[in-house]
Amino acid sequence: MALLRVDTQRAYELIKEKITILELGPSAPLDEQRLADELNMGLVPVREALKLLIHDDLVVITERHGLYVTDINLPDLEQLSEMRLSLESLCARLAAQRATSDDIAVLEALRQEQASIPPEDNRRLFDLDHKFHQAIAQAAHNKYLARALEHFFGLSRRLWYLALSDLTFLPAAVEEHLELITAIKTGDADRAEQVMRHHVQNFYAQVQEILAQRGFDG
Amino acid sequence: MTDNNSPQDLVLGIDTGGTYTDGALLEYHSRRTLASYKSLTTKRDFSIGIEAVIEGIRIEDPSAVKMVSISTTLATNAIAEGKGKRVALLLIGYDPDLIASFKMESRFATPHYHYFGGGHDLYGQEKEPLDLPGILSKVSQIKTQVDAIAISGYFSPLNPEHENRACDAVSRICDLPIVLGHQLSTKLGSVERATTAALNASLLAVLRDFIIAVRRAMERRQIDAPLMVVRGDGTLMSDEFAALTPVETIHSGPAASAMGGRFLSRLDDALVVDVGGTTTDLALIEAGQVTVGEEGATVGNYKTAVKAANLLSIALGGDSHITLSRDKKIAIGPERVVPLSYLAWKYPSVQKRIKILARRTWTHADPAWLEYWLLLREPVERDGGLAATPRHKRLIAFLRDGPKPLPEILKHLELLHAAQFNVGELFRQEIIGKAGLTPTDLIHVEGRYTPWDVEAAAVALNAFSRYQFCDPADFRRQVWAQTTETIVRAIITFLSGKRLSQTALSADDMGSWFFANSIRPSHPHLETRFRLRQPIIGIGAPSEIFLKDVADILHTDLILPEFHQVANAVGAIAGSVMVTEEILLYPKMSAERLDVIAYYAQFSDGRQEFESLDDALAYARRLSRERALSAALHSGANNPQVVVEELTDGLDTYRIRAKAVGNPRLTK
Repeated sequence: MALLRVDTQRAYELIKEKITILELGPSAPLDEQRLADELNMGLVPVREALKLLIHDDLVVITERHGLYVTDINLPDLEQLSEMRLSLESLCARLAAQRATSDDIAVLEALRQEQASIPPEDNRRLFDLDHKFHQAIAQAAHNKYLARALEHFFGLSRRLWYLALSDLTFLPAAVEEHLELITAIKTGDADRAEQVMRHHVQNFYAQVQEILAQRGFDG
Repeated sequence: MTDNNSPQDLVLGIDTGGTYTDGALLEYHSRRTLASYKSLTTKRDFSIGIEAVIEGIRIEDPSAVKMVSISTTLATNAIAEGKGKRVALLLIGYDPDLIASFKMESRFATPHYHYFGGGHDLYGQEKEPLDLPGILSKVSQIKTQVDAIAISGYFSPLNPEHENRACDAVSRICDLPIVLGHQLSTKLGSVERATTAALNASLLAVLRDFIIAVRRAMERRQIDAPLMVVRGDGTLMSDEFAALTPVETIHSGPAASAMGGRFLSRLDDALVVDVGGTTTDLALIEAGQVTVGEEGATVGNYKTAVKAANLLSIALGGDSHITLSRDKKIAIGPERVVPLSYLAWKYPSVQKRIKILARRTWTHADPAWLEYWLLLREPVERDGGLAATPRHKRLIAFLRDGPKPLPEILKHLELLHAAQFNVGELFRQEIIGKAGLTPTDLIHVEGRYTPWDVEAAAVALNAFSRYQFCDPADFRRQVWAQTTETIVRAIITFLSGKRLSQTALSADDMGSWFFANSIRPSHPHLETRFRLRQPIIGIGAPSEIFLKDVADILHTDLILPEFHQVANAVGAIAGSVMVTEEILLYPKMSAERLDVIAYYAQFSDGRQEFESLDDALAYARRLSRERALSAALHSGANNPQVVVEELTDGLDTYRIRAKAVGNPRLTK
């Protein structure tokens, strides 16, 4: 794979983070020059980074009005949850069949860290949850599946931040992680798939409710 | 369409040294230097000096610039000043007791090192299973306290499996950048490899931000061209590679000077002596290349596995402070100060004060009156408590209306001696600076180089020599004799590896006598001399004056190519793009370790097994060649040529090294 230019890579990381943590909110217009000034970078890397973010579906370009941060609406959320539900269930199934002892060590480490974090530290808990899902995607040992999920994870991370103030990281979710690990460890593919489906479903139900209350009707 | 008079294929070389940032604009193929510019290095933020240089060189058509290349002391400085990022070093399969018994922990370049089970043996076989749960649990604990992670496994160049597995797992539980030992060095020294990995990790963000700043400066001047970075051996790498292997830029500045000397003089064998403001650096050019040290480069107290030019640097330069030692002998350096001629030229108040010295009596004109302190910048919040004590505040307030001589400063602060007052940090942070008599001032008096105030230099020199009861011309001769002797001694030490003994008995020592008699012939019957076979290429503004007698004493020629003052910047574009790819071949042993049952070919990201050695060798030659070639093309080499070497350590282990070298590819 060709290496990205150093400044483009950095601009990409920084702008993506701004969009994810909603410093650049949904539907916000993007001004290349202003971003370049803020990041203390040239225009070229910022432009290249924005192109990559269009590819990630985090930025949209319109012929008339230029660049915007992709908005968030309920129909999109539904479509996203459909994709994650089916792909992650498949992931959990494959992981139960293929996970190596290294994969399991990673999952265990993430779960232990999660258990050690106080429940009010929402942000860290969700960050670990994100890593946990990524680790299962890796444990499925299918690079196309992992790549597709990475794209959807990028979009759903933004949802957490949007819903963060009203979201509670339920102890049940931590329980589910433990169940998932057990299923994967014992090679119980059916069980793994079932737990994962339930886990993802719950998350989206919660987010959907919060967003509906706030009037994101799309 | 371009006509023949307009320069084509311009390249811009930049060197950020300890004192100056230099730039040179060249026409690549004709080697013609079209313009150069010097600006002061800003240690707080190197990019300021770089932007000044790009601004200062007037480039009529920025689109004609086809490459920018840069050498930098950034990495070296960050290490020496402890300004790298915080690194956790994970050591796999190292023996903590062994490390402790040789007190090698201090060499790891980070206080956060942790030992884990695992590692391989001399035959690339697993010594102990990898303790992955241990590693992950440690990383979970410390990941918020460090900025990067370095991993080094025992014998990882023979088998990097544990490093790779650890990296893969650690990258899934944290977002920190990770550096692996086997990617930086295929040498087997486990401590040097760990140090190199830790230093590389600590420099990643430093070099990345630097490259971003250079790119930004280029864009502001509408320069759209590849950016290359000089390695410590004088070769070039693309900025993307440099961002991944910042540790390879260690010593890139002196290496670039040597390459520049060669490029400008067109000599393939010579000794390059670079006389700067702060230091004089020696390097040897053999067959067109800077000689590379057998051992890895050393920075500060750290021994690394990084290949770098074989260099000797001494603290003597044009701006070295001339002072009196305790026994009233003339001392030159090691401290670098602002020359008085410059200070007087810049500040009329200083000019007046110095001229008054000429009318003072002997006792009121001692050399302390030639030392000035000046305010370089106001302290800011970032400097912390540096300027917080009342005395520090009074000092800064006192210097606000101009530089002051040391005796006045001490009187104002009610002190008897500068040693009573802790100001070292103010100097180090470049809040205040020091000025004094320097070789540069003597050069002004002699009329050989006079950009600044000649009269102030002359008055200062007279005052100093009067205090020493000697004639100013005599004093100057003494200073030059001393610089000459110091440089000659450094050259002989550099080339021979021998030192002059400093003991009291040295008067009876034949080596010391030989050296003294060769510099100052005194024996009635025996004539001795050193002769340097290669010519000396002098680099840097003061080199003509510093090196003329040196070359005479060594019975060789001094060559001062045109534009030698900016040879360091020229050297940044003079190197070739080089990529080295190594494959290790070693035997696979039977279970009882008595018989060789096969051969392994271990390359950076995989391993192959062969029944016969010949097959393994053939495979390694082919693969290393292919990989070096493609990496060189990727790194910006134009039509790279590959040479494959085979080395063996006699233990049935082979090192197949493919080196792909080409000129940098310019944008069309």
